[in-house]
Amino acid sequence: MTMARAVRVQSGLSGRVDWTYIGAVAGLIIVGSLAMLSAASTTTFYSSILQKHFIALTLGITLFTLTLAFNYQVFQDQSKFLYGMAIMIVAATLILGRISRGQRSWVHLFGFSFQPAEMARTLVVLALADFLDRRARRIQDLSTILTALAICAPVMILVLKQPDFSTTLTFVPAIFGMMFAAGVDTFQLIAIFGFGGLAISVPLIYTICQIRWPAAAAHSLPGMILATSRMGWATLAAIGLFCALGLLVWRLSSWMRVQVKPAAFAAIPILLSAALLSGIVVHKHLKGYQRNRFVAWIAPESDVQGAAYNVIQSQIAVGSGGMWGKGLFSGTQSQLGFLPERHTDFVFANLGEEMGFWGTSLILGLYMVLLWRIVSAARLARDRYGYLVCAGLASTLAFQLALNVGMCLGLMPVAGVPLPLVSYGGSSLLVTLWTLGIVANIYARRYALL
Amino acid sequence: MSRGGAVPVERLELLWYVIAAMGLVLGLRLAQMQLVQAAEWRLAAERNRSQMIHQNAPRGRIYDRNGVAVATNAPAFSLIFLPGKDRRRQDLNPLAQELGRQLGRDPDELLEKLEQAVREESAIRLAENLPTQTMFRLSELKTIYPGVDLIVEARRWYPFGRFASHLLGYMGKMSSREWRERKPKGYRVDSRTGRLGLEKMFEDELRGRDGGLRMEVDAQGRLKRVIDKIPFEAGSNVHLTIDAAVQKAADDGLRATATGRGAAVAIDPRNGDLLAMSSQPDFDPNAFLSTDPAEVKSTVLELSEFNNAISGAYPPGSTFKPIAGLAALSEGRVKPDDSVNCPGYFELGGRTFLCWDHKGHHRVSWLMGLALSCDVYFYQLGLKTGGGAIERFARDFGLGQATGIALKGEKGGHLFGPETRKKTNKGWYDGDTLNLAIGQGELTVTPLQMAIAVAAIANRGTVWRPRYIQKIVYADGRPDVVKPVERRGVVSAKDAAWDEVQRGLEVVITSGTGGGARIPGLLVAGKTGTAQNPHGEDHAWFVVYAARPGEPASIAISVLVENGGHGGTTAAPVARKMILAHFGMEDPAATRPVIPKMPAALTAPGAVPVPGRLR
Repeated sequence: MTMARAVRVQSGLSGRVDWTYIGAVAGLIIVGSLAMLSAASTTTFYSSILQKHFIALTLGITLFTLTLAFNYQVFQDQSKFLYGMAIMIVAATLILGRISRGQRSWVHLFGFSFQPAEMARTLVVLALADFLDRRARRIQDLSTILTALAICAPVMILVLKQPDFSTTLTFVPAIFGMMFAAGVDTFQLIAIFGFGGLAISVPLIYTICQIRWPAAAAHSLPGMILATSRMGWATLAAIGLFCALGLLVWRLSSWMRVQVKPAAFAAIPILLSAALLSGIVVHKHLKGYQRNRFVAWIAPESDVQGAAYNVIQSQIAVGSGGMWGKGLFSGTQSQLGFLPERHTDFVFANLGEEMGFWGTSLILGLYMVLLWRIVSAARLARDRYGYLVCAGLASTLAFQLALNVGMCLGLMPVAGVPLPLVSYGGSSLLVTLWTLGIVANIYARRYALL
Repeated sequence: MSRGGAVPVERLELLWYVIAAMGLVLGLRLAQMQLVQAAEWRLAAERNRSQMIHQNAPRGRIYDRNGVAVATNAPAFSLIFLPGKDRRRQDLNPLAQELGRQLGRDPDELLEKLEQAVREESAIRLAENLPTQTMFRLSELKTIYPGVDLIVEARRWYPFGRFASHLLGYMGKMSSREWRERKPKGYRVDSRTGRLGLEKMFEDELRGRDGGLRMEVDAQGRLKRVIDKIPFEAGSNVHLTIDAAVQKAADDGLRATATGRGAAVAIDPRNGDLLAMSSQPDFDPNAFLSTDPAEVKSTVLELSEFNNAISGAYPPGSTFKPIAGLAALSEGRVKPDDSVNCPGYFELGGRTFLCWDHKGHHRVSWLMGLALSCDVYFYQLGLKTGGGAIERFARDFGLGQATGIALKGEKGGHLFGPETRKKTNKGWYDGDTLNLAIGQGELTVTPLQMAIAVAAIANRGTVWRPRYIQKIVYADGRPDVVKPVERRGVVSAKDAAWDEVQRGLEVVITSGTGGGARIPGLLVAGKTGTAQNPHGEDHAWFVVYAARPGEPASIAISVLVENGGHGGTTAAPVARKMILAHFGMEDPAATRPVIPKMPAALTAPGAVPVPGRLR
């Protein structure tokens, strides 16, 4: 691409760029920065935060504009290189990264620290979009799903190794959303993700039982459920129960003359048993703080000062904001330090306290506009690759929004997921703007490649 | 760039619906929390950020009769700890160690207190009454350990220290049971209450109502600013009839005696006002408020709550002789000029009763009999008068019954005589009369009773119910309560008898055993006593009243020094100091330390100069 061409591209673009979309992004950055800067004002490193935020913002806007400048299909051409890069940066993080709060998730480069996991996620989305695009003709095959998962797995495992459970979790909706949008077999997709979901919910059920009925008798239901976690006769009995259940459903459906392949019924006990067994494994490997987060979510009143502290304080902050809020820089929950992580993960709670309902609905509205424009970009994309990238990014962003805001409102467990564009975090802002630049690019080139 | 067929847009549509539904859920939840439940959450936020710091109301002051504050308040620094809400990174152990070092206290005990504060989520006082130096050192800790703060409070302060301790009482902490009982009245667990004397009796009046500061605190418990203030209500002031100068003279005088144990009571014979009441050993009420726990502990251990002035019953010894004499003279059984030979002993029914001076007093009549306290003279006087009359007079003087002073623990002493014996169906013998006449035997009195009795001699018959409260000035504008003066009884005796007794008491001072209390320029009349005590050394007594010449007596005093020996040498100087203080006089003895010996001529009967009569 020559310099002259690039200039022409820019001038031709302005008419096709989605200004609503850009307005939503700008609005989120402005409102988010206000809330974030107010929340950070009581921290020790305020001036440093201020500086880093505006450097990242400038870089991000530059990156957004640059990404818009050239044809996004370059990413599809270079998808193997991008995938290699994803693996490389997460691997490098594990080797070179610095440990902070028990996680090796930061890389320090030229005086800047960088969290590569989010960038790796976008790179995986780009690589997966290319794979699913090329698999278009055999999209219904089980091998498509399995290969797609195999592509994502190494990066996810490396991120999980940091260990950064929350970021790993944000890979899931991206992958699921893309596969679903690509048109894979729904049954297979649900079976596989259902299996994963069960494997996650089994430890969740254990935790619930442990909290709610800590002194459950052995013969009571929670006692029996907890007994299955010990890999003994109870586990075997549970598996036997699943087999009986599969058999029963099969007999019932054949009696009712439902036309389903018997293999599907065999899948039920296999899936359930496998989910139970992997759930037990997850349960045994769950870290203390991760279990505490579950506890805080399930039973916030059980230990106000401990794990549930964040959830309670965040809810108090949001609720006490009321309609009009307490005013920027005057929220008692955030300015007096009751609200934890107030400029990062819980920035939305600070916004809720200081700007009230109008502020939170403004952010939520801007987000919904943004998501709607991304979905529109997907629909209007000139190729399947663009469609898939947009669908994946929309799912990721929506999931992050749900997880972060849901956490601030006590609807979701505490997960260290930032609110993109709003939470403080230079690398997150940079990567998000770059990713959003790709979406803008796809939209702008919906009719012509320019 | 492969393009494999049409994309399944309907799936994208579904994805969008899911996203929209999620947005809707979040929006509804936001509306629920911020619009519907906002008030509740705001309350929670308010509870988070505000912390009540109680402010002790300044306790009502206690004044003496001249408006001198004898119990007041002084600003003092207290170290408080506010547990922060966010304790996740707060470690109490280093704080406990540091404070233990600074305050010289046990870190484990401090840690326990800190943890208790954290559990109850309420502010706690770690130390009170901090000296300025410690305060400055501790103020540095504020910046290091969040939640530690210093506040200034009004603290009880007794300017005179060891001063009327038993009357004023002291302030102490409550036991947990007491606190539960008093909680409804607004007491806090670290409130102090009056533990003895006036502080205890007038607790409700003196206390006032505590106020508080609602402070904004941050998550670590650091104080940020005052949100609002609940003003405290100061306690009501109590005005006493006590004269601080006399009281101080009594306390210091008694403490300076050989044994340092005893009691002294001073009363205004004109109206029954208590001018001083001292009991030794006493205590320093300020010590209970000390920052040094060891000091508080030792004070509590050594604390003598026993008020000798009202609870100690002692044989009156010779100080009873004026009463016996009044009975004899008033009944006409003895004439003042009747003389008696004292060989140093007296025989009755085969038993020998000794005079205190074994050498004997030779011929003595009323004046010298009293002045020299001749026992033989009073044995015979008693026999002539009879036990019944003496007992009646003694009862009229209020002996054998509690005076009814509004203080706890008062004893009535014990009066014995034919009447009392009759009630218990026991016989009365002449030997008993002899013992009664010289104030020995079963007779016991309290120093307060003796002060009232001597006041009644001074005012010729009025027995007062002593009062020590002048008035209570309520802080809330209620009208002052003035305690009325009460007359408890009257001793009726002939004027001539009063004259003789008063004259006799004057001679005791001018030329008798009470020379130690002589004060030039004042009319002083009194009687010494050396009460035999079966448990050890004799108790020294001195009762006295004094007046400016030509005026009615304005002070009557009884002094008792436990195991003090002779009343004239041990107890009289104490009374003398009290009289000087009462009349606002310099101690002439201080400039003229040698008191001239009694001239020998005065010992002869009839040679006694007659001092100016009282009234």
